[in-house]
Order: sequence, then C-alpha cells, then structure tokens
Amino acid sequence: MSISERTITAPSMALGQRGILSRFGPSNRAVFPWVLMAPTLIILFAIGIYPFLYSLYIASHNVILSKPYLPRIFVGLYQYQALIQDPEFWHALRKTLIFTVQAVFIEFWLGLGLALLFQRQLTGIAFMRVFILIPMILPPLVAALIWRYMFYPGAGLMTYYVGGITRALGFGEIPFLSDPTVAFQTLVFVDVWEWTPFMFLMLSAGLASIPRQPYEAAEIDGAGSWRVFWTITMPLLRPAILIAVIIRTMDAFRTYELIVIMTRGGPGNATTTLNVFLTKTGLEFFDASKAAALSLIMMMIIIVMSFVFIRVFRSKTEVAE
Amino acid sequence: MNMVKLSAVTAAGLSLMLLALPAHAQTEAQKALAGKTVHFLAPSMPQFAALAKFFPEFEEKYGIKVVVDEVPFENYRQKSLVEMQQGTGTYDFFAVDVMWLAEYAAAGFLEPLMPYVKNADLTDADYDIDDFLPRVISGTGVFNDTLYTLPIGAGPVGTTFRADIAEKAGFKLPERFSPEFTTKYMYDAAKKVNNPESNMIGFANIPGRWFWGVTYLPYLFAYQTPETKGDEYVDKDWKITINNERTVASIDYFLSLKEFMPADSANWGIGEATAVYQAGNAFGTWNYQDFVKGFFEDSETQAKVAGKNVHLHTPAGPDGVIDPWFGAWSLGVSKDSKNKEAAWTFMQWVTSKDVQARATQYGAGPSRHSTYKSETLAKYQPWWPGVYDFMLKETNPDERVRVPEWAEISDVMGEEGNRVWIGEIDSKTAAANMEKRMTDAMRKGGYYIPGRSDLPKQQWRDLTYYDRLPSEWN
Repeated sequence: MSISERTITAPSMALGQRGILSRFGPSNRAVFPWVLMAPTLIILFAIGIYPFLYSLYIASHNVILSKPYLPRIFVGLYQYQALIQDPEFWHALRKTLIFTVQAVFIEFWLGLGLALLFQRQLTGIAFMRVFILIPMILPPLVAALIWRYMFYPGAGLMTYYVGGITRALGFGEIPFLSDPTVAFQTLVFVDVWEWTPFMFLMLSAGLASIPRQPYEAAEIDGAGSWRVFWTITMPLLRPAILIAVIIRTMDAFRTYELIVIMTRGGPGNATTTLNVFLTKTGLEFFDASKAAALSLIMMMIIIVMSFVFIRVFRSKTEVAE
Repeated sequence: MNMVKLSAVTAAGLSLMLLALPAHAQTEAQKALAGKTVHFLAPSMPQFAALAKFFPEFEEKYGIKVVVDEVPFENYRQKSLVEMQQGTGTYDFFAVDVMWLAEYAAAGFLEPLMPYVKNADLTDADYDIDDFLPRVISGTGVFNDTLYTLPIGAGPVGTTFRADIAEKAGFKLPERFSPEFTTKYMYDAAKKVNNPESNMIGFANIPGRWFWGVTYLPYLFAYQTPETKGDEYVDKDWKITINNERTVASIDYFLSLKEFMPADSANWGIGEATAVYQAGNAFGTWNYQDFVKGFFEDSETQAKVAGKNVHLHTPAGPDGVIDPWFGAWSLGVSKDSKNKEAAWTFMQWVTSKDVQARATQYGAGPSRHSTYKSETLAKYQPWWPGVYDFMLKETNPDERVRVPEWAEISDVMGEEGNRVWIGEIDSKTAAANMEKRMTDAMRKGGYYIPGRSDLPKQQWRDLTYYDRLPSEWN
C-alpha cells in the first residue's frame, strides 16, 4: 500500500466507523438494545429455539435414523396420534405422574420439616446442614450407582442388613428391585433421599426471608405454634414453595439416570416412565420422529403443570394478602 | 569351548536377524501409509481388549498409529450409529455386531471389502480369505452378496456348569452336544444340587427384561419341532407366528428355573448371574462362548471356579432341537473414512492367520479354520475346538432375525416375558401380547404393504446360502 493510498483510506474508515456507530450505537435507541442482546439471542436461538423448531419438523415427518435411505415424508400430526393411541405411552405417563406426585410431596414435607428444625439454634447444626446437603451434591448418575449397589441382590448393604432383619422377623427378603410395586417405591425413596436437601435449601432460604414482626405480633396475641405455622409461616413462604415445587416437579418428571441405572424400566414395565420410554424410542429403536413428538408432548405437560402451579399459588397468595 | 561360544554367538546373531525381518515383506503401497493414524470405535468387551494387545506390534511394523475409542457396550450401538449417520469420518473403522450388519450395509455406512481383499498391494500374500469358516464370514459380514466386514470371532451361546459339584452330588455332566443334555436333564440336575441355605443355587438364570432377546431364545428354539424350524418368529410372508403352544411351553420352562433363583432376581442381567457363579454360589449359568475365558476360566481373576467347569451347549428340547445361536463381532471400514487404505491394512493384519491364532491366548475367539486347529487355541481355550463342527454346519446367522425391527421385537419379548416372571401375566397372555406388539412393529416397518417386492430374503430357510466360499462374494 502506498503512502497516498493510506492517507486517503484512513479518514474514510473513520467516517465508516462513525456511520456504524450512528446506525447501531447508543444514539440509536431503537436498535442499540438489540445489539447488546444479540450475542445472547444468537446463543438462545442456537441452543434453544432452533432445536425446538427442528423437533417440530422431525415430529411432522417420518425419520428413522437407522433407515436413512427412506424418504422423509411429511406425516402431519400422525406421530402424535400414534402416541395417543399407544397404550405404552399412557402407561409411562401414569407412572411418571405417580412418581412425580409421590416424590415431590414427600420431599416437600420432609424438606419443610428439616428447614423448620434447622431454624433453631442447636449445637452442631452447621455441621448437620452440610451433611444433609451431600446427596444433592452427588451427580445423579453416581447416586443411582451407589444405590444400585446398595440394593444389589444378596450382597448390597441394604439387601444384606434389611434382608437380615426381615428374615429374622420371619418376613423373608424384601424384593427391593424385583417386585413391581416395591421397585417403584424404592425409586421414589432414592429420589426423596437425593432431592429432599434441595427442598430444604430452598425453604430454608424462604424462611430466613420472612420478617420477625408477624411472629412477634402473634406471640403477643397468644397464638399457638400450629396456628402461627398455618397463618403466618405458610402464607409468607408461598413464593419460595412455588419456586421449589415447580423446579422439583419439572426435575422429577424428567427423572432418567436413577431409573435407567437401577431398574432400566423393569421389572416388566413397572418403572417405565416417559423419559425411559422416550430414550427407548429414540436411541434404541431410532424412531426419531416418534421420539421428537413424545418430547414435545412432555414439554407441553411440564408447561401446563407449571402454569397451573403458578395460577393456584398466585391466587392463594392474593387471597392471603 | 571356542566352538561353543562361536555357535552361541552365531545363533544369537541369526535370531536377531530373524527378529529384525518382518514376518511378511510390506508392499510399497503399505509402506506409503506409514505416519497415518486410524481411529477405531469399539465396545468395551473382552475380544476387543485381546486385539488391543496387538496394536503396538502393528504400529511398529507398519508405522500406522491405531487410536481406539472404547464405549460401554450398552451405549455402543447408539454411538456408532450416530457417528455413521453424521458422516464426518471421525472413525475409520468400526466394530459391528452381527445383528446390525444389514442395517449398516443397507444404509451405505460401510465400505465393500472384496476390492481390498483382492488388492495385492494392500493385502498380505498369505491372507487367505478362504481360511475363514464360510458360515462365519458370510453370516457376519455379507449383505446382498457383498462382503462388508471381517469377523474377529464368532460363537454360540451355551451353559456352564460346575463339574466338581456334579461329581459330589454323584453324577457326571454329559459331553457338549450330547443328546442326553436336554431341558429336562438341566432342570433335574439343577434341582439335585440346589441348596440355597448353603449358598448354592441350581441355575443362575438371566430373567432381566433387557436380556430375554438373548437368554430366552435358546429355550424358544429348543421347544420347536423339526417341522416348525424356521417359523420361530415369522412365516414366509413375515407374519408373526410366536403365539403358539411351543412359545408358551418355552416360557413356562424358562419360568420353572425361577425355582432356583433368589427372590430378588427379576432384574438379573448377565452381570448378576455371572457374578453369583464366579463367587462359587451357583451350579450352572448361561454363557456366550467368547466370554468363557474371561468370565469363567481365567485362573488369575476367577480363582474360585477356573478349571472346575464344563461348558455345554444350551439344552435340547423335547424333540431334540437345539438352538443354532450365532453371535459375532466384526470389523468394517467406514464409508466416510479418509484413511480407508490404512484402516484396511490394520484389519487385514489383525485378522490374519498369525495374529488370530496368537490372539486366542488373550481370550479372542476363532473364526478361521487355521485358528480352530492351532495349538495356541487348544492350549489356552480348549473348549473352542468342540464347537468347530457346529459353527461349520449347524449355526444359523439369522437365529435372531436380522431386520431393523429386531431391537423392538427383542424388547417386546423381554418386557412380556419379564412380566410373566414377576407374576403380572401368564405365559399364554405373554405369547398373545408378543404376537400383537411384534405385528405392530412389523406393520410399522412396512412388511404388510400389499405388493411390496423389496422385503429382505429369509436366508435362514436355506442356510446353504451362507456356505459359499468366502472368496466368491462380491
């Protein structure tokens, strides 16, 4: 590049930069917020919206990954219709809902009980608080593997000791993972073990944020602890409960590692939840379209459940206020 | 004295020269591949661990580096299929289970191999493809008359029993393939020694729902009659035929073995049953021939049971029918590989007569005539030569029907069968449910579209198809 070229180019670049700044910079109030948000929006589109749209596309076609030679035919809503007519889907949905309701219900009340207990200034409470959180810190896969070996037939810690006790009492061994009903409840038990600490953590934070004044007023009025709990603690704790229950419901609804590692959906189909059914459809039978339709249905169910929770809690909170 | 020294030095010198010389001279085309790296995707299984011991030798000889990615068996199909689908060529060659060949070959994921076999520049002169057992190589690697993969061991499933326990109980177990070993014999023998109070169960069965497609089939086949052979799952028009009295009887027999099992065993898989046997707490269990060494006969890791076992086939049914089970793993070059020639160079070397024979000392199974007859196999895995004739004449590569719908069919069998095991339904209901759900799977696969003419051929109805000389395939 010659000197003359440089002298001509530099001012024109400065002019160009100024032009860009005036078009996309802070002075342009309509565009500038979008410029700031652009990186986030691009990432959001790439990892959230695009896969969602692609799922819609796949679910409306006939894509089987192990048969790439088949033409991709548009089938409209056929995949959803096929799922709704599939008894396996309804079985898995029922199992998922029962699992979610049971697990979240127990975790909520246990977590609340622990949160109330740990509000008191007892000796060693700080140590116990850390101890209680350990199950939640473990990756779900590791937790599931630990429990699988705890329930290992004949040799696991639980089967050995609990089996020993029940044998001594004349009840025989407990088929923790072999009886359909017991296996299902075993999974609920492990989920409760792992996720009660989460409820405890969320509700502890909620309790800590409740002001002291209502309690002092209640004490002056001579209200009993039961009445204080139902009329002060619970209503003021509602926002924390709402968040904790929604997050846990969504998580429990999607539970996967625990079930696959411990029972793989068995015995029979006793613990086949929607996520197990989804994985089987998508990654074992490679029916991508049916799996995409199923995942979209699952997403809709979760959205509807969250919406219902929010409406119910909000209306109750408004009444309380 | 000097003569002795001279002889010793000469002998040492000659030995060094011999060691320095390659077993087979490399061609110019093979030499040109030095410096390349090939990527191999394989499941974590004993036969691949055996092959891995030879990687350094290959790398030294050819200058081609082999990088292997091992994936747990349960994730392997998913991982390999996704990799092949994406077509990135990340992996140059894959391990292929016999059940997936048709799917992979039909989808165009694999490279036809015969042009490489016939290419003298890339294949060692003494490779001798006709040394492979015809039914093994064609059953494992041929689709639509074209060779796509090379076997690295193929074998039947069977049963393993403790000979010392039988002896103590006052009986001697029969020889392999003896007509005396029937379903009734197996049940009676297990009952004789079954003693849970002394931590000895008669037979460690595998009733977990995910395993029925492998562990129940020996009984489904055993309960056939010579007339119904070939129609175990489907008839000539691909209509499902499983709802019949033979299926019901086979499920009932499978269920009768529950008598020997602990209460908490409905989910037992291969791992649980094998662990109980390895601990010395079971008289018998299921096996797959390729796992025998690692699971039962490795004196270092299986000290409690090694050397005390008798390895039999699965029992014959009431009409003397035995299961023609065929299991195999093979190696196939990816269509998208950028190093196909280097991948082939490794594959032809590792499946050569010399390496295959030597690999048997580490637990690899045979697929060549020469390997079956090798001293190494006889020394390290003496239970193999006994299945040579079976693998030549009796085995059926389509024992599990090789269609893309098999995964679903197998899952249906497992789920319905396991429901019988836990007492949710009876065997008749299970057979009826199996038929209905398998029919749905086949219907979805388009098997019942009127006038469809491109349905797969049912090669199992005439097994001579698989008996062609390996070099005759395309």
